[in-house]
Amino acid sequence: MTASSVSREASNYDEVSMQQSLLFSDSLKDLKNLRTQLYSAAEYFELSYTDDDQKQIVVETLKDYAIKALVNTVDHLGSVTYKVNDLLDEKVDEVSGTEFRVSCIEQRLRTCREYIDHEGLTQQSLMINTPKYHKRYILPVGETMHGALRTKSKYLGCSLDDEDDWNQFRDAVRATITETPTSSVRKGRSPSPSPRHPQRSATFSFTSTVPKKQLEKRTVSPLRFPLLRSGSVSSRSTTPTSSRPTTPSSAAAARRRYPSEPRKSASMRIQAETENSKDIEQYPSKSKRLLKALLSRRKSKKDDMLYTYLDEY
Amino acid sequence: MARAGGITNAVNVGIAVQADWENREFISHISLNVRRLFEFLLQFEATTKSKLASLNEKLDTLERRLEALEVQVGTATANPSLLST
Repeated sequence: MTASSVSREASNYDEVSMQQSLLFSDSLKDLKNLRTQLYSAAEYFELSYTDDDQKQIVVETLKDYAIKALVNTVDHLGSVTYKVNDLLDEKVDEVSGTEFRVSCIEQRLRTCREYIDHEGLTQQSLMINTPKYHKRYILPVGETMHGALRTKSKYLGCSLDDEDDWNQFRDAVRATITETPTSSVRKGRSPSPSPRHPQRSATFSFTSTVPKKQLEKRTVSPLRFPLLRSGSVSSRSTTPTSSRPTTPSSAAAARRRYPSEPRKSASMRIQAETENSKDIEQYPSKSKRLLKALLSRRKSKKDDMLYTYLDEY
Repeated sequence: MARAGGITNAVNVGIAVQADWENREFISHISLNVRRLFEFLLQFEATTKSKLASLNEKLDTLERRLEALEVQVGTATANPSLLST
């Protein structure tokens, strides 16, 4: 259907164009013949004017003929010029369409050339496409935290030993667990002879992070669990926790200044742990009365639960 | 009689002069229109020449572009390794 309609339209277009061209050629032929006709008419009227007696009639006929000839010439010239203009405009439109097509082809060729150049560059540049994985920490069971901590410490620029990091992390977790509600319980448990500097730093860091209610409780019982706090302090000084982003940098700076300090603190912590275990062993015999007094003052169900939890821990 | 003949001659001369002026007016009209037609033909010639010149220029440009495209396509078809990559 479409092909037949297209062929019909094409045939109609051809017929119309043929008719227009025929009319144009006829009008051009008439214009060419008009000159000879005018010359022959002029000769005829000249002879008739000289020979005939009724000159007035000849003159009137000549006038009429001149007017008609002029009008015919104007009509012919008008039609011919209109057709010529139409033909020229049509050709200009065709040329513009052809220019558009050629520019489209050039653009396609340019695109193909750019693509070929790009492909050649990628082939010749010897670029190794390294696989880019999504930033994600996959922590399998076992040494995952170890590895994660290592990566984290590497990322933060710390150069601590893995075992040391792991111990410090564990101590920090213990300290954060025992920080909030079990302070009163721990107070009576750890009367260890730890150095004073860590105690002060421990109390300072504790007051900077703990809410006011617990702060009041802390002020009631000062410096009674130095061993655990010293451990937590050492862990805090080296653990790169996310909640305190300035700690690893300070630890790293301190490590830069005193390279042997983490080892020292670790050994101190180990000593303190051993002393703590010893104290725990000697605890029922030495400070039973003190513990009883404390428990009688601040004993509650919550404290009991936490106390049992800490014992298990 | 002579006076009457002189009057008729004067009338005839006046009629002839008027007819002559009418003919001159007609010829001037015809010549004016022919001149206008001539001016129109000159203007048409100029515009048609300019249009044909611009069309010729466009066709020349198009011809050069088509020749360049032909050369490029010929080069690409002569080297099929370029298209295969």
